[in-house]
Amino acid sequence: MRGIVGSTYLTSITPLPPFTPDLYQRAWCSVPHPTLPLLATAHAKSVTVFSLATLAKHSALTGGHARSVRAVAWQPPRGGGSGGGGWAGQDGGRRKRRRRRLGLVTGSFDATAGMWSFVEGGGGGEDEEEEGGLEREVRFGDDGGLGDGEGEDKEWEFDLVLEGHENEVKGLAFSPGGQYLATCSRDKSVWIWEDVSGGEDVVDGGDDEGEWETVAVLSEHDGDVKAVAWCPSHLPNARARRHHYSADVLASASYDNTVRIWREDADGEWVCVAVLEGHDGTVWGLQWEGRARPDGRFPRLMTFSADGTVKVWTLREEEEEEDNDADGSGRGANPFQSGFGGIPNTMRRSLREEWDCTAVLPKVHSRDVYSVSWSAETGLVASTGGDGVIALYAEDESAPSRGAEAGDAENGTPGPKGNWRVLATVPNAHGPYEINHITWCKRFDPGAEQRGKEEMLVTTGDDGVVRPWQVRI
Amino acid sequence: MERDLDNANPTILSVSQLPRRSRKGAAPRQGPDSKCDSIVYPKHAWPYGSGLSSDEEDDYREEPMDEQDIYDLISTISDPEHPHTLGQLSVVNLPDIHLSPSPVELPGSDSLVTVLVELTPTINHCSLATVIGLAVRCRLEQTLPPNYRVDVRMKVGSHAQDDQVNKQLGDKERVAAALENDTLRRMVDKMLETCV
Repeated sequence: MRGIVGSTYLTSITPLPPFTPDLYQRAWCSVPHPTLPLLATAHAKSVTVFSLATLAKHSALTGGHARSVRAVAWQPPRGGGSGGGGWAGQDGGRRKRRRRRLGLVTGSFDATAGMWSFVEGGGGGEDEEEEGGLEREVRFGDDGGLGDGEGEDKEWEFDLVLEGHENEVKGLAFSPGGQYLATCSRDKSVWIWEDVSGGEDVVDGGDDEGEWETVAVLSEHDGDVKAVAWCPSHLPNARARRHHYSADVLASASYDNTVRIWREDADGEWVCVAVLEGHDGTVWGLQWEGRARPDGRFPRLMTFSADGTVKVWTLREEEEEEDNDADGSGRGANPFQSGFGGIPNTMRRSLREEWDCTAVLPKVHSRDVYSVSWSAETGLVASTGGDGVIALYAEDESAPSRGAEAGDAENGTPGPKGNWRVLATVPNAHGPYEINHITWCKRFDPGAEQRGKEEMLVTTGDDGVVRPWQVRI
Repeated sequence: MERDLDNANPTILSVSQLPRRSRKGAAPRQGPDSKCDSIVYPKHAWPYGSGLSSDEEDDYREEPMDEQDIYDLISTISDPEHPHTLGQLSVVNLPDIHLSPSPVELPGSDSLVTVLVELTPTINHCSLATVIGLAVRCRLEQTLPPNYRVDVRMKVGSHAQDDQVNKQLGDKERVAAALENDTLRRMVDKMLETCV
């Protein structure tokens, strides 16, 4: 083997052979399916789906968009399943035989989002009339993904287009239960769409295209919204404050250098409950903490920016808020807060959340940080960006972060803190090219020691290479 | 056909006044044609590699670039509203081009070089500053090897909305999307027609 490319403290990140074929053009991101061994890579006007079992092309989505596809998300399985925080689960009545249906959504510079489905067993067969200008081209490199090998027709179908944004769609994400889809755009807005099709994850012989309705248009950002991310709902602690809001929590990152947190209130209105300010450049994206925290607190949020930094934000939870109130900061001064005449205190507090920057990761990158991935398995964080460097970080959980006691630190300005350290870096991970995306991803290839459990990193670059990396700690 | 120009009477330098490489001392350089050849057809693989297998990479081994080379690449871009080049209009100026580190000092072909180009639009409210910046960035990204990182900015005090324009020009995603916009693409292509 070629040996260790990037190493410090015995940690190593070594390149595995890239996915085949090379795409030979800028690729923006590669998103692993939550359970199946599939990886979807957005490049030019299409998406190439790779098999994680063979590390080769599985299928492709082409012909749906007039301009580049910038973002991709896998649709969570509908109608029940794991998501503890999902919405009213329609678990009843498991039907006879369900064909497995894969759903994918694409966000494009052509201002639309496209819903695609991949159906095993080649749908109804008849009416092959292509919809206006929709030319489909589906190829299969192998059978690695869906595994049955029955040789039936399999193809991606462009089901429907979500129109509404004025210009480029830059990011999108499904809520954990699959009920909502959030899209964001250069038009400075975030749209929330709701699945109103009944949530059956079945294909009843004919087309089940789903139906999506716009439930909110959030236009509080002052610049392009670059990315959106839903807080994972399977963690017990992620459901805090449910008495004021529904379980779903959305965060958005923007060209206006801020991050905003959104929740749905009791009246079904989506409202901005916090603005996270602190980055000194476009916030390229965000990642929620995917592991339950030992102290049972609400998941933290990690943000990364054109300013070259990666920051961690923590929700100030209720006890502390009450303490602060009890401290009487301005209680007498604000006539609306005193006595029974004003708005009830609980309701007032529910309008805002306080988020503190509780850590800044050690600075590695010399240019924009375009992507960060926070492993839900191990808690390790990997980052990459315009400097072509991959960095791997770990948090020391033994020593409590000083920033965690936000109440005590109230006097000082929130400076760099936290207990993160760099485990390893790999320079020039895609040669001289910029790297647009990094993600943790389960390994299913024959070289894995524990298929389906062991994690690797996958980077996606301007060179059109999608490269897996083995990580040894 | 005549429309109101943002700047009807710009100062124009003649071609003989533009900065060029002095011939004394240094070996004469090849012209831009052959420079592009060396980018399009890479000659030798860089022998020291980057840790990845070298046949998977594009290696660009060539003479180190200097500021004059960068100037030569972009000074011939046409202004979008005047029949002159950015060099003639002093939108692009040699002292406002900065390379760091100097490519001579690079340890390997994958090491990054930052090219900073500060533009001086012809007047303060030049609405076309963004388009000019886009053309400069586009020209450099098309012709320079992939280890060059291009930063295009408006020179301090030269343009009313420096920060906004600079931020847009520094945003890779916006630049990519702008070049997929037919109108902008046509403008940029037209401006680059005069580049050799």
